[in-house]
Amino acid sequence: MNRLSRFMYKKKNRSAVYTIIAVLIAIPLLFPLYWVIISSLKGDAEIFRKIPTFFPKKSVVETYVSQLTNPDTLRAIKNSFIIASGSTVLSMLLSVPCAYGLARFRFRGKKVMIMTFLVTQMLPSSLILTPLYLIFNKVHILNTYLAPIISTATISIPFVILVLRPIFASLPKELEEAGRIDGCNRFTAFFHVILPISKNGTVTGLAFCFIYGWNDLMYSITFNMKETLRPMTATIYNYMDLYGMKWNYIMAYGVLVSLPVLILFIILQKYIVEGLVSGSVKG
Amino acid sequence: MNDRMREKRMGYIFSVPAFAFMIAVIGFPVIYNWYISFTNMTSRTFNSGTISFSGIENYITVLTDPDFQTAFINTLVYTVCCLIFQFSIGFALALLFNQKFRLAKPLRGFLVISWIMPMTVVALMFKYMFSDSGIINYLLQQLHIIREPIEWLTSTKMAMPSVIITNSWVGIPFNMLLLATGLSNIPADVYESAMIDGANGIKRFFYITLPLLKQSILAVLVLGFVYTFKVFDLVYVMTGGGPINATEVLSTYSYRESFQYFNFGTGAASANVLFVCLFLVGLIYVKLIGKEDENE
Repeated sequence: MNRLSRFMYKKKNRSAVYTIIAVLIAIPLLFPLYWVIISSLKGDAEIFRKIPTFFPKKSVVETYVSQLTNPDTLRAIKNSFIIASGSTVLSMLLSVPCAYGLARFRFRGKKVMIMTFLVTQMLPSSLILTPLYLIFNKVHILNTYLAPIISTATISIPFVILVLRPIFASLPKELEEAGRIDGCNRFTAFFHVILPISKNGTVTGLAFCFIYGWNDLMYSITFNMKETLRPMTATIYNYMDLYGMKWNYIMAYGVLVSLPVLILFIILQKYIVEGLVSGSVKG
Repeated sequence: MNDRMREKRMGYIFSVPAFAFMIAVIGFPVIYNWYISFTNMTSRTFNSGTISFSGIENYITVLTDPDFQTAFINTLVYTVCCLIFQFSIGFALALLFNQKFRLAKPLRGFLVISWIMPMTVVALMFKYMFSDSGIINYLLQQLHIIREPIEWLTSTKMAMPSVIITNSWVGIPFNMLLLATGLSNIPADVYESAMIDGANGIKRFFYITLPLLKQSILAVLVLGFVYTFKVFDLVYVMTGGGPINATEVLSTYSYRESFQYFNFGTGAASANVLFVCLFLVGLIYVKLIGKEDENE
């Protein structure tokens, strides 16, 4: 009895030590996030103080009010939503069926396709920037939402396929057969049986498509010369000139840009973490 | 027979649209980029239709440009340094979070935030923290590590380290996650039998953990190399390549050539140099994946 309790004590103790170490490491790693939020809540007088305050003396929401009543910011928010949603719809429409096809059916060229998706995922965006600019110019979609939507979809599609294919492949074939006995054909079986079952994977894919579309900077600044079409990530740069060193306003804008991504992350944390792992390593 | 034909057809119906899309929007531009790189294409010749082949002239121009050479070396330094930091810290965190303790799961998950935050925001956030009167200088002065504030982003010496620190912050959770997954795949009884044989912690790390983790380690390093080597957003927002080219990397160089000077030819050629470097590394990765598949 004595030995057992000592063993339990030791184990508990160890767990406490690990927890303390982990928290000590997490603090500096998460500090930048804290600092952004705190700074965004500071008034003008406080942000310019020589000695920075770690808790705002008087938190203000003025920075946020000023951002959210600024028509330019509202337009940028709208643009971000249009680009991210458009990119999500396009990517999901193409990649989900593709992942299913690659998981379920046997056909020639399958290996080549999988390899292509693997390779395209690793290509640098700057490689296709010049040719895409010239191609988009030819087909007249420069300075439209379509340009960033199409180009960000090229990041999401391979990722979603690499995440979803193993999930689809792990589903027993009997499921579709059962569905087909109930009167489904291959297509309706996919929609009525397979998609609902693999909901978690599909939702993860959806979240990633949105995040990739939302976070894009490069494609929008290259393909959209018109300020009125640019998303939040691209216009944030202008705020530097507009607000000078008023970092509280810039940080408030930063929080607003990050908000949708953070909300998605908090809701889907478990799946996003899993998705990151499977989308990055496995073929 | 008929069934197999049908299966084939279904496979194509489901998979071809995405594949065709990727070929059109990625595959074709990649080839077109090679074509552009062998022509004298600028915004002027493009609009007037007087494009002509110029052979390898663009490549000579680019490779002999001191700015390009700086960008190339910068990219290498940046990538190698980031990899060292991200990997070693990420590995240490993976080992830590692989232990069972309270808060292990929520903390591990929470740290991933830095990987999915918009790069633009990360860049601005660090730009603020690295500013002369920023929090980093303040803390270092309070701790008496430095006397005068360091000019992190405005001096040619410190700009690159600042960008490297920022990107490492982004990359740590990625390394941690992938390595932690590899660690959790090592069966516990391997460690138990080693413990019975009297192997201590350090021995277990070098004789069990490292060898069994080889695949994950290589994959993480190669992927990390690829993601880091093609950096754009971070540098573009934080320093714009400056001061005086101190943080200019291949992708910002190529962007500048194409969209600031509108020399599409040299822009394409410099992007291709980036591509060739990644292609070589990518070959290693594909080989690795292939091997893993065989083992499965």
